[in-house]
Amino acid sequence: MATVDSTVRAGATAARDADGGAAGIGPYRLALRRLRRNKAALAFGALFALIVVLCLCAPLYADRIAHTGPNANHVTDTVMVGGVSKDVVSPTGQPLGPTWHGRFLLGADQNGRDIAVRLLYGGRNSLEVGALATLLTMVLATIVGIAAGYFRGVVDGVLARILDLIWAYPVVLLGIALGTSLALGGIAIGPLQLQGNSLLVPAFIIGIVYIPYVAKPIRGQVLGLREQEFVDAARVGGAGPLRIMWSEILPNVSSTLVVFVPLMVANAILLEAALSYLGAGVQPPNPSWGTMISDGIRLIPSAMHLTFVPGAMLVLAVLGINVFGDGVRDALDPRAKVRLEERGEEASR
Amino acid sequence: MRVWIRGAAAIAVALLMAAAGCGGGGSDNKGSTSGGGGQEGGTISVLMGTAPDYLDPGLGYTTQSAEATWISYTPLLTYRHETGQAGGELMPGLATGQPQVSSDGKTYTLTLRRGLEFSDGRPVRASDFRYTIERSIRVNWGGKSFYTSYIAGAAAYDSGDASDISGITTDDATGRITIRLTEPYGAFPNVLAFPSSGLVPSGTPMRNLSNDPPPGVGPYMITNVSPNRSFTVRRNPRFASFNIPDIPTGHLDAVNVKVISNTQSEAQQVLNNEADVFDAGDTLPPSLLPQIESRASDRFERVPVPSTYYFFLNTTKPPFNNLKARQAVNYAIDREAMVRLASGFLEPSCFFIPRGLVGHPTSACPYGDRPDLARARQLVQQSGMAGTPVTVWGEERSPRREYVDYYTDLLNKIGFKATEKIIADAVYFPTIGNAKTDPQTGFADWIQDFPNPSDYYLLMDARAIQPTNNQNFSKVDDPFIQKELKRLNPVPATRLDSVADDWTRLDEYTARQAYVAAYGEESMPKFFSDRIAFDSAVFHPTYLNDWATFQLK
Amino acid sequence: MTRFVVRRVISMVLVLFAISVLTFLIFQVIPNGDPAQRMAGRLSTPETVAAIRRTWGFDDPIWQQYLITMKKIFTGEVISYTQQVNVLDQIKQDLPATLSLAIGAGIVWFVMGVLFGVLSALRAGHFTDRALTVVALVGVSTPVFLLGAVALYFLAFKVQLFPNGGYVPLTQDPLDWLYHMILPWLVLSVLFIGIYSRVLRSNLLDTMNEDYVRTARAKGISERRVLVRHVLRNSLIPIVSLWSLDFAAVIGGGAILTESVFNLQGVGQYAAESIQRLDVPPVLVIVMLGAFAVVMLSAITDVIFALLDPRIRLTGR
Repeated sequence: MATVDSTVRAGATAARDADGGAAGIGPYRLALRRLRRNKAALAFGALFALIVVLCLCAPLYADRIAHTGPNANHVTDTVMVGGVSKDVVSPTGQPLGPTWHGRFLLGADQNGRDIAVRLLYGGRNSLEVGALATLLTMVLATIVGIAAGYFRGVVDGVLARILDLIWAYPVVLLGIALGTSLALGGIAIGPLQLQGNSLLVPAFIIGIVYIPYVAKPIRGQVLGLREQEFVDAARVGGAGPLRIMWSEILPNVSSTLVVFVPLMVANAILLEAALSYLGAGVQPPNPSWGTMISDGIRLIPSAMHLTFVPGAMLVLAVLGINVFGDGVRDALDPRAKVRLEERGEEASR
Repeated sequence: MRVWIRGAAAIAVALLMAAAGCGGGGSDNKGSTSGGGGQEGGTISVLMGTAPDYLDPGLGYTTQSAEATWISYTPLLTYRHETGQAGGELMPGLATGQPQVSSDGKTYTLTLRRGLEFSDGRPVRASDFRYTIERSIRVNWGGKSFYTSYIAGAAAYDSGDASDISGITTDDATGRITIRLTEPYGAFPNVLAFPSSGLVPSGTPMRNLSNDPPPGVGPYMITNVSPNRSFTVRRNPRFASFNIPDIPTGHLDAVNVKVISNTQSEAQQVLNNEADVFDAGDTLPPSLLPQIESRASDRFERVPVPSTYYFFLNTTKPPFNNLKARQAVNYAIDREAMVRLASGFLEPSCFFIPRGLVGHPTSACPYGDRPDLARARQLVQQSGMAGTPVTVWGEERSPRREYVDYYTDLLNKIGFKATEKIIADAVYFPTIGNAKTDPQTGFADWIQDFPNPSDYYLLMDARAIQPTNNQNFSKVDDPFIQKELKRLNPVPATRLDSVADDWTRLDEYTARQAYVAAYGEESMPKFFSDRIAFDSAVFHPTYLNDWATFQLK
Repeated sequence: MTRFVVRRVISMVLVLFAISVLTFLIFQVIPNGDPAQRMAGRLSTPETVAAIRRTWGFDDPIWQQYLITMKKIFTGEVISYTQQVNVLDQIKQDLPATLSLAIGAGIVWFVMGVLFGVLSALRAGHFTDRALTVVALVGVSTPVFLLGAVALYFLAFKVQLFPNGGYVPLTQDPLDWLYHMILPWLVLSVLFIGIYSRVLRSNLLDTMNEDYVRTARAKGISERRVLVRHVLRNSLIPIVSLWSLDFAAVIGGGAILTESVFNLQGVGQYAAESIQRLDVPPVLVIVMLGAFAVVMLSAITDVIFALLDPRIRLTGR
């Protein structure tokens, strides 16, 4: 298949810069300069950062402004809105809409819980799952990709087949199947013992599912790098394979990896939302943007704030990191244009 | 090009308007007007959110299935086609009268009516009854233990040691049917009234015939099955001539049932009069309630159905092995909150036997009508169980998950350290019924098999505790309850009224012991289009929408 | 050529085998997931459960159960645990909805994606380009079920412009079918349009700076002909190969979320519901179907490209 993978090219270009630019400015410094000139990317990056900070301040908000926790139910309580006493949840189960005041700023859900508080705590969970999943993906994909590309032969054969297996399994189906199964049974692999409703379970699943998206291009890049002279030189100089992989190969794929990170975070957040919508992601009562949207969809016609609020937050966060990620990619190789790794985003559809 | 598009758009708009105006299947059948002011004949459309588990009477166990089978396969005994407690009374179906029960309670004798025919014309014989029971056992009906545990020889038939059920003897010439039981079982008349006891012809293949259900005796018959998609219940022309008293012969010609799994669309179609009946077994989307209540208040009602919703409290381990801790939970629960979480589809109660059933206590709740959190906290302190970690189990689907969300938060408020564990519906009951899980507390419900308090007290019976598939989640083992059950269970269902007070006293005792935290019974939606005469349509306590009583306005 | 086919067939068989084993195992480890208990119901006795286990063979060792299930699948006799229906029949019933969704959306997103990509490239740096990029980015950042729910709310509930989900078979009523499919097509396509337009835009901008294009321009050929004749054809190649993979993924249950939100009762929705009910046979069949579709389509695309472009060799990486 005639394809071009230019996230790889971005990394390769940066590598080339690193190679030849001994007297010039390093590739990352160059990239940083280009990035700083990209106003849009910076703005959206700041947006994402703002959302992260807001979510980290969840306990502050809960204590000082909302005066309630994320799981505190107020089904039969009332609240004063503009001098009028209103039910938090009506006798027929309709929750309160946004009050635009400290308590129930963005409204309540069907259990009378404060949506704004849950939004922030949920954001923490969604971001945590996204970050952990990305970490898992990047670490494992790097190891697998480099090992497969460097050792070739049998090792490559086995690893590539495993990657193909995960790749061929429809992503969402694999996610739900694993999610449903592990939510019930938890994970018990050797020292790794996780309860079914731990946040690490969806993080683990999302992390595993995305490994091929990163490992395959890395593997391709390493296959090429392997043939270059500096690797031969290192080998002749007596360095063992592990040494070579660590000090010669890894730095040269590092910029590829850097470009993948924001993309994977965005994908992880989206996949978590999709899994939670189907009940196989974050487990109750832990809020997450995905579970809030899923719960809210039931009540859309009469209480649309339940869906719109977490939905808007999610879109803004993902948009922020997508645009910033684009900027990072452009900065590392302004010529790199083809974006095939975006296939990863489609997976969570 | 543009002209074509405009034309297509016009057609689309026209189709839309036609669909909106038509209002479901054939409203054109105008028959003669009956005395009640409604029409005779006509067809209606019913929308079901869940397909019936089986349309084969020998296998069906869900309400969706029963709605179709109980009017198509009349058993020897059946229930009155009425609402409320009257709908729980047994009356003769294909039998000539109530069963004669021997003094030791172990022999039942009935006589089959003469001149009955199945919907395909074959004559009904007494021996068809035995075949029907054998068939239900052989095809593995989910409730077959009602037969195998009580009818002599049924267990042997089930295991293959016998080629027929020795405990049932029939005489085709006289129509006499004699059934011998292994022990006295008061609810046996209820067992005779199950749809799976509804007669089918001898020789009907003993396998799942849901796609082409067998002939039966009833005002209607099931035809045109498209599995998991649709089926039609059509009037059985032969039935009226049998003149069976108190079984309605039906006004409608046909009921077209369609399965669509989007309850939102289902409700909207009925609201817009594009379909006629929102199946009572489905949950009305809470988001549409405001609209329904404002636009369709004359054709919408919440009808309580005998059932019990409760949180079980495991009496064999901390913290709920302590009476005070259990009472604390009962004092703390805000039953009004539970009603709101159910979008109004809950009738609050604190007793285990629900309203509409013989034995439901009418006395005041021992825990008061309003929650008393202060008292609850005090009791938790006094019990010494404060701070005990508690895992609260729950199902995924709404509103059950919301119930458990609320309950967990409540337990934390009164002094426990509660965390919830929500698991998939498909494995919920097997999980909490497994001795290895041995759950402390969690969601439970009981939809009755038949309107008999002994069916509910199965869940309080110490003998019912088993290592897997346990249903006595509170693991109640109370000598007083056992003594009473021993006395009350054998009373035949046809004589329930004589022991009503005993059941009431027993239930009041159970409430004081706080073995569970009951909070109410479910209401189901009676929601129709404006074509159907709303008040005359019977909403049966066990079988919900009684299509045999439905009539077009 | 034969070597290529043989290799692909072998790898496909291996993939299907591995996927089915993986799926099977995933469900085996669920605690209290005993299907016999579920089938027997709440009032069952241990004897009933044991009888069901015997009938269905749940007492056999895992590998035997696996082989028997696979055999049932290939002879078309596989029955689902919870609904006692033949899985293949059910899938056949659901397939038209999924195909309608996939094919229709596939056409929409291909056409719109190319259109937007070309427009963006031609007006690179100008307002149209920026606007389309923003639309593409938002499309890529919004979960499809959220978009679908919001679209239904505004366009099917507040204003009854479109039906509230559901599927009408083409053979039953072509216009109604179309009416029900428009919104799902658009919603599912939004994401792909976003991706494809950006990919195409980059490809085009790259190619437009290549030497042979500059030569063509120097020769005096109009910008339009340059674009269509030289640039577009080359840039479309990666798009087409992407398209075939995505299309296969949608058929294989990848459009679960769209199908669920719009309640199209397609194969993907059936798979999702089966997983929630812990009903293994349908999941096995659908997962293998999906993988099969992906492998099949990618092989066909490779062959077509090899035939079209002699520079591309089939064997080799």
